Amino acid sequence: MLKVLDHLEEWLISFLMGAATLIIFAAVVHRYLSGFAIPGVQDWLLGLNLGWAQELCIIMFVWMAKFGAAYGVRTGIHVGVDVLINRMHEGRRAKFIVFGLLAGALFTGIVGTLGATFVWENGAHHAIFHALGVATDTPEGPTTPDLEAPTWIVYSAVPLGSYLMCFRFLQVTWGFVRTGELPHHDQGKVEGLDDDSVPPPPGEEDKIYRMDDELHPRDKGEPR
Amino acid sequence: MNTVIIFALLVVLMLTGMPISISLGLTVLSFLFFLTQVPIESVALKLFTGIEKFEIMAIPFFILAGNFLTHGGVAKRMIRFATSMVGHFHGGLGLAGVLACALFAAVSGSSPATVVAIGSILLPAMVRAGFPNRFGAGVITTSGALGILIPPSIVMVMYSVSTNTSVGALFMAGVIPGIVLATMLGLLTWYRARSRDYPRQPRVSWVGRLKAFRDSFWGLLLIVIVMGGIYTGLFTPTEAAAMSAVWAFIAAVFIYRDLRLKDVPRVLLASANMSAMLLYIITNAMLFSFLMTHENIPQAMADGMLGTGVGLIGFLLIANVLLLAAGNFMEPSSIVLILAPILFPIAVKLGIDPVHFGILMVVNMEVGMCHPPVGLNLYVASGITRMGITELTIATWPWLLTMLVFLVLVTYWPPLSIWLPQQLGMVTAAR
Repeated sequence: MLKVLDHLEEWLISFLMGAATLIIFAAVVHRYLSGFAIPGVQDWLLGLNLGWAQELCIIMFVWMAKFGAAYGVRTGIHVGVDVLINRMHEGRRAKFIVFGLLAGALFTGIVGTLGATFVWENGAHHAIFHALGVATDTPEGPTTPDLEAPTWIVYSAVPLGSYLMCFRFLQVTWGFVRTGELPHHDQGKVEGLDDDSVPPPPGEEDKIYRMDDELHPRDKGEPR
Repeated sequence: MNTVIIFALLVVLMLTGMPISISLGLTVLSFLFFLTQVPIESVALKLFTGIEKFEIMAIPFFILAGNFLTHGGVAKRMIRFATSMVGHFHGGLGLAGVLACALFAAVSGSSPATVVAIGSILLPAMVRAGFPNRFGAGVITTSGALGILIPPSIVMVMYSVSTNTSVGALFMAGVIPGIVLATMLGLLTWYRARSRDYPRQPRVSWVGRLKAFRDSFWGLLLIVIVMGGIYTGLFTPTEAAAMSAVWAFIAAVFIYRDLRLKDVPRVLLASANMSAMLLYIITNAMLFSFLMTHENIPQAMADGMLGTGVGLIGFLLIANVLLLAAGNFMEPSSIVLILAPILFPIAVKLGIDPVHFGILMVVNMEVGMCHPPVGLNLYVASGITRMGITELTIATWPWLLTMLVFLVLVTYWPPLSIWLPQQLGMVTAAR
């Protein structure tokens, strides 16, 4: 079940990243191509209206940002200032790490709730009740300027993404309390890609990607 | 009083080691909840509107382009080209490192990415050629910092977002300082290599150079796409970023064939991960900046600062010290997003050009990335060279010192940065 969620999350943000790039690319190409007087093609191109591309790109990236931030908790990419806590002894440091993670869960939880309320009051209430055939006197929500999509659907990225992020923070906290391990992010590394440079000595294969810096919290018991 | 509470809260939360984005957000929420009558629901609206700007979307595109370039063999070909051009001088491979970093910086917007792309290929080669480990590490760590000064630059986009300065003008303004800094680092490298008699590479014929250039042409074309596109007005900066991402993909997968099509989803995922982290910091920094504006803090600070009679020179000095100090604890994006809204109004009141001030901040960030405790470049280089941070810090100091000299130059000689955008008519003439 959790695996499905993990994959869905990864698949969604990769897709949004790639698709947004292609959309903007297509919009730019369209803008210049339709300037050429190619018989037949030009009329067809001028008939296409890609004015919504920019708005769609923004929406896709906002969704990517919200769900990607949740994925980021799982990969440990959100950096903090741990110069101070890394100088503390193990027990106290562990307490601070748990505190930091729970603070993250608290913040994303609150944000998720605020977002959910906002979405509910700006059209979701009306739309859902309407679809269910329940008569209400709630106003219909606003729509976006170019796509004319209901804003509550667009904005539901905030509650969904934030609640997911909250869940990830709790998941990481639970993992840390149980095993003393934190997810680590490797700067500049792409999973599974390797250059054919000199192979590192045995036992040090991951040396490049160990982040023994002050930016990433260390695991419990890991030497400084 | 409120100012003190807000900043004390922020610093305390940050020092507990929680992510910077979370500490920014929690500061805003707790301040609004406990100390003001502002309905907390008004925050909800800010959460949606925080990153809804097309300009910000240049950041994910540049990150994606950078990742394609790093893993797609573009860096390798740029190094080969740079070596063929300057390899025969004293400290040839070191000089080639500076040149390759400058070239890669012109297609990528991030410093650590530049260090990874150039360093992981060139540093082992330098050691094999007989250079001391320290020398190569020093050169690459500092030259990699060119990544955020030579356009495109993610830090510049951040600055432009938080101060409403034109990204295009900032990019153009980075060109000349970038070339000057690269030259300064190159001269130092040459001088040190000559006095220590470090190895030189065999001279390459012009035919060989032309071949190396042709080989790296498709990568170098990105410079034309981004800078040319923005300058001629063909693309907005964000569109240019998207075009460069598509082009980097085509070059990596279809022209150089160093990246297999099945690896593309992983590159997308890694880029999305990094972009989402930055966008999340931006969202929360926007919340924080909303709180500051609401409490009138930047204005009050500007008046306070001007009231003390600090002049232009004094303010620039204070700004530099503050930014360098912040560089000890945070990474560049967070520093720019938190400090730019505070320092910017003061700078404007003192008549400092917004573009000049932006370049000044970027150069400060560059220095911060090359020294401990949180210099990202340093840690990336340490990973590649397997040197300790202390040893690496000693190795970088001559270049770091050069960068500080350069910082003074950029700070007190505005034409260095604003001359080019002025000539191009992107900035109105100095007041």
